[in-house]
Amino acid sequence: MGHQYKAVQWNGNKVVYDIYVLGFIALFVGVFMFVGLQTHESGHRADPVVLAIRALGTTAFMLLTIILAIGPLARLNKRFLPLLYNRRHFGVLTFLVASAHFGLALLWYHGGGPLNPLVSLFSSNPLYDSIPGFPFEVLGFVAFLIMMTMAATSHDFWLNNLAAPVWKALHMLVYPAYALLVMHVVLGALMTEKSMVYPAMTAAAFIGVTLLHLIAGVREWRADNGMKSLKSKGWVDICAPDDIADNRAVIAPLPKGDRIAVFRYDRKISAVTNACRHQNGPLGEGRVIDGCITCPWHGWQYRPNDGVSPPPFTEKISTYNVKIENGRVLVDPKPNPPGTHVEPAVIPAGGGEA
Amino acid sequence: MSKTKGVIDPAAVDKEEMFIGWAPAPAVDRRFLLAALPFGLLGAGGASWLVASELGDPGAGEWLTNATHEVTGLLTAAPYPMIRVADPSGPYGMRTVLLVAQGKCTAALKFGVHEASLVTASGVLIQRKNRQMLEVPPFLEKWLEPAEISLSSDVADPTPVNLGSARLSGTIMDSKCFFGVMRPGHGKTHKACASLCIRGGIPPSFWARTRDGRESIMLMTDSNGGPMSMDILPYVADPVEAEGEVVQVGDLIQFRADASAYRRI
Repeated sequence: MGHQYKAVQWNGNKVVYDIYVLGFIALFVGVFMFVGLQTHESGHRADPVVLAIRALGTTAFMLLTIILAIGPLARLNKRFLPLLYNRRHFGVLTFLVASAHFGLALLWYHGGGPLNPLVSLFSSNPLYDSIPGFPFEVLGFVAFLIMMTMAATSHDFWLNNLAAPVWKALHMLVYPAYALLVMHVVLGALMTEKSMVYPAMTAAAFIGVTLLHLIAGVREWRADNGMKSLKSKGWVDICAPDDIADNRAVIAPLPKGDRIAVFRYDRKISAVTNACRHQNGPLGEGRVIDGCITCPWHGWQYRPNDGVSPPPFTEKISTYNVKIENGRVLVDPKPNPPGTHVEPAVIPAGGGEA
Repeated sequence: MSKTKGVIDPAAVDKEEMFIGWAPAPAVDRRFLLAALPFGLLGAGGASWLVASELGDPGAGEWLTNATHEVTGLLTAAPYPMIRVADPSGPYGMRTVLLVAQGKCTAALKFGVHEASLVTASGVLIQRKNRQMLEVPPFLEKWLEPAEISLSSDVADPTPVNLGSARLSGTIMDSKCFFGVMRPGHGKTHKACASLCIRGGIPPSFWARTRDGRESIMLMTDSNGGPMSMDILPYVADPVEAEGEVVQVGDLIQFRADASAYRRI
């Protein structure tokens, strides 16, 4: 949460997360280098630098594939939420691995020659008019620039200063970047190596990520379809107070399509927007913890009665007027400005039945 | 229960404790992640092993950077920098050692008064089977000194023997990487590097396979036996064919064809 900006706001879970990611990177690169140097007999051994370029490139591709899988996995199964929590560090580490791959490849294949290495990258293979001959390096370079932009803006400072929609649009470029990387692999390594393992693994990665997104997307679409906007000209009838589990919420689509999260806690009812100020996480899928609505994605918190993050944090979300009449929770569909205090509706003994 | 139609209740399907990044992970998440860990380790290690173990044979090249190698013979600049060395025990009685500079800029090598004279050169040996190359520093005084030897004319200036015309298919390589600096020094992933090396003056080689599957490496020249034109660059590292003359010069086989004779296949 953004009361002040630090380069990295560490906590125990982030440290453990990063150690695991670094461990996996070390394992992957280490096994690759060890096995790669033993694969062919002495005298036919691969050049360690070429091997390192391939190890780092393969690792970066694998990491990006996993990163893209985490989103839909967390939507399909809440147990994957811990992987989503610190995905930003995962992304930056992936960028660092990709940088090492790019730097080594630029130095080794394009350095020390009669052309500037970047000029060589664009001009040494002139077959831009051929699909199989296309200079795959250019595709990787464009993907690298996208990843660099994403890594550089992978901070709440940029999220707040670029505004959430711009930031989100910028980070959605990860999908074109992944497509470019798939083509980088297909038109590069796959055109050089003969083993069928490589096309099979590349296809499995691409199809796996696509399928996960489709499955999660269809599930969301079905849920959306089941949530036709409630029809009402005045206060909207949501449910009975007892329909809401304690310290949990129900999610309701208002007549204009906005979604709200209606929370029950301490025998009170409050309603707020369903979208977290941080990354539009679904607040209604969260919990009331320590008296605050807590987002399931990154743990951002808001007080239920005014939608303001507890001090020292200052984020605010919209609140909605709420009341209980004849045993029903009713919400005024007109949102209050973010941070507006709204007196919670108190659940009478017996659930408020008249 | 009496929720209005359209209202959804996440609590109905998700009763477990919730993971929050800044709080200790719930037991259910810890159990899940610990159970998943061995699969993750096996998956990462196994995938890495599989990818690395399927890499193609990079070839028999060597780049012997841990020793300095000396070669004594006749220094020749045409069609490419080389030293012709007496090799009485070899099948041709002589051996050709190509000369390249460090990096990819061999065109910078100028021999001045030493050209066509007997010299001893020291540098790093690059070799692939019976093909040899010496990588030397850019300044002559660092690696070249006159030598007091005598060479027969068969060694110093072998008579070219035309083996006939041939239509060959194969791949154009830069000799330095292909002889052993890069392993593998072939294929599309090496195309840009090979093109840059040839642009920098490193001799191009034609890599073909004979009918019985043996590897054949020929030094590429134009149809007159001179250095190749840079028009060849777009064809580097791609499967190509060309009709030309196959000429034996000492232990080296030259494939003589102009750049315009090459066609991508």
